[in-house]
Amino acid sequence: MSFSLNKSYKILLLLVIFIVIIGFWNPNALLDGLQRGSLYSLIALPLALVLGILGVLNLAHGEFLTVGLYFIFMLNTRFNLDPLVAIIPTVIFLLILGAIIYWLTIKRVVKEGHLSQLLLTFGISLILIETINIFWTSMARNVYTSYSYASMEIGSFRFGTYELLYILIAVLVLVGLQLFLKKTRLGQATFAVGQNPKGAKIVGINVNYVYLFVFSVAVAILGIVAGTMLPRTAIFPEVGSPFTLKSFALAAMAGMGNLNGILFAGVTLGIGEAVINSIPNYGGWSDIVFFGVLIIVIISRSYRGAR
Amino acid sequence: MLEINNLNVSYGKIQVIWNLSMEIKENEAVGIFGPNGAGKSTLINAIIGLINNKEGSIKFNEEEINGLETHQIIKKGVALVPQKRELFPIMTVKENLKLGAAYIPKARDEIEQNLEFVYNIFPILKEREKQLAGTMSGGQQRMLAVGRALMSSPKLLILDEPSVGLQPSLVTDLFKKLNEIKKEDVSILLAEQNVKQGLKVIDRGYVLENGKIELEDDAENLTKNEHIQKSYLGI
Repeated sequence: MSFSLNKSYKILLLLVIFIVIIGFWNPNALLDGLQRGSLYSLIALPLALVLGILGVLNLAHGEFLTVGLYFIFMLNTRFNLDPLVAIIPTVIFLLILGAIIYWLTIKRVVKEGHLSQLLLTFGISLILIETINIFWTSMARNVYTSYSYASMEIGSFRFGTYELLYILIAVLVLVGLQLFLKKTRLGQATFAVGQNPKGAKIVGINVNYVYLFVFSVAVAILGIVAGTMLPRTAIFPEVGSPFTLKSFALAAMAGMGNLNGILFAGVTLGIGEAVINSIPNYGGWSDIVFFGVLIIVIISRSYRGAR
Repeated sequence: MLEINNLNVSYGKIQVIWNLSMEIKENEAVGIFGPNGAGKSTLINAIIGLINNKEGSIKFNEEEINGLETHQIIKKGVALVPQKRELFPIMTVKENLKLGAAYIPKARDEIEQNLEFVYNIFPILKEREKQLAGTMSGGQQRMLAVGRALMSSPKLLILDEPSVGLQPSLVTDLFKKLNEIKKEDVSILLAEQNVKQGLKVIDRGYVLENGKIELEDDAENLTKNEHIQKSYLGI
């Protein structure tokens, strides 16, 4: 599977025009959409990384997010740790958890077909959900922080400031990942393995080690997402599950392995959703629009590809 | 330098290489000739650790390498030019070359000299250093694959059918380059179907048929050999 860092300026330009129009028409929907979109992209990035480099379809992706959320919840209730501070231990915890799960299970399906991968990761997702159920029951839980509902006013336009953090973190994670892939030796190895695992072996790269590393880091990135999400999200054992499907959708829309594209796709779909949500009584349509846009993009791309 | 003793290699239940023994001496160029399906690629993949279903001994510089993983074997000074090239298509020519040295500690210190050496042998790679590898022609990609292998400062260079898919003039050209590389303190193991061209490069050769070595001799005698002339040279 190819893995590209190409910049798609045309798409970027279209997106900017789109954003400006929405911004004049309904600034609240724009901001809401940007925030959702950043969150979707943040969650989809690690999934796309695993898909692009290991070629593994990870159905347990959303559940790793859930595990991160509950781990932070635990740190918060037991040790009174602020969710944003708790990101650090959570990232370390998920890094280790990801590595263990890779060594015990994922490693064995990397070279197998997608069906084995889907069955395995579906099993893992069930185990994670049920484990959380045992410890915390299915009751919804919340974490309250003083800053999560802070807001700002510009003229007559009032908006929440906390969620701007999603946008900042999405950009930081994306830029960090790109720099890592371009500038470090391990990053170049990752990039090389994503393009051609056999070629990587014969230049002396330990491909299994790169797989282990990428999978663990992908799971660990979800720790960052969990810490930023928790102050604004009620959690329950299935809270992460819908994100798996949305992440797949984003990765498919961006084109397999296109990291920048994920941010574009996430923001486009996020704004689309937010616009629908802002129309009274039509909120239920947002998922339909989300997947409708996805289908249109994929169809138009396949036509372009066929020509 | 490379010593193989009683090697058996299988794909699942099908045995491909039977009790094979061979050796390559310091600075020697050795050929393995044989028809399609004789086991040339299998033998190479077994040496380089891409196939693990194998018994017997493979020693590189007196050290057992059977059972090691590919990346470990490469780090010991073996380089491979695979039949399908196995380049990184969305990296530039220069990035591909640099990756050839980046993961071998010894070669990392020699990256500039090696790059110059490769550009000297294949000037086209210097001209195209900013081009994406995937957009080059088959012949240029083959040169890049050879160049990438040379970047690792190898002691043993293994080439798996480098002539496949190249037009005859490019084959002649490539084998001339191999003769230049030979002068540089590198041993060569060349698997080829194109025996006529191969014989111009090698010092000594083995004929591999049905997974067994049928014949071993120096290049001069192989050229005169009746079986070789009939089956491979069409004389």
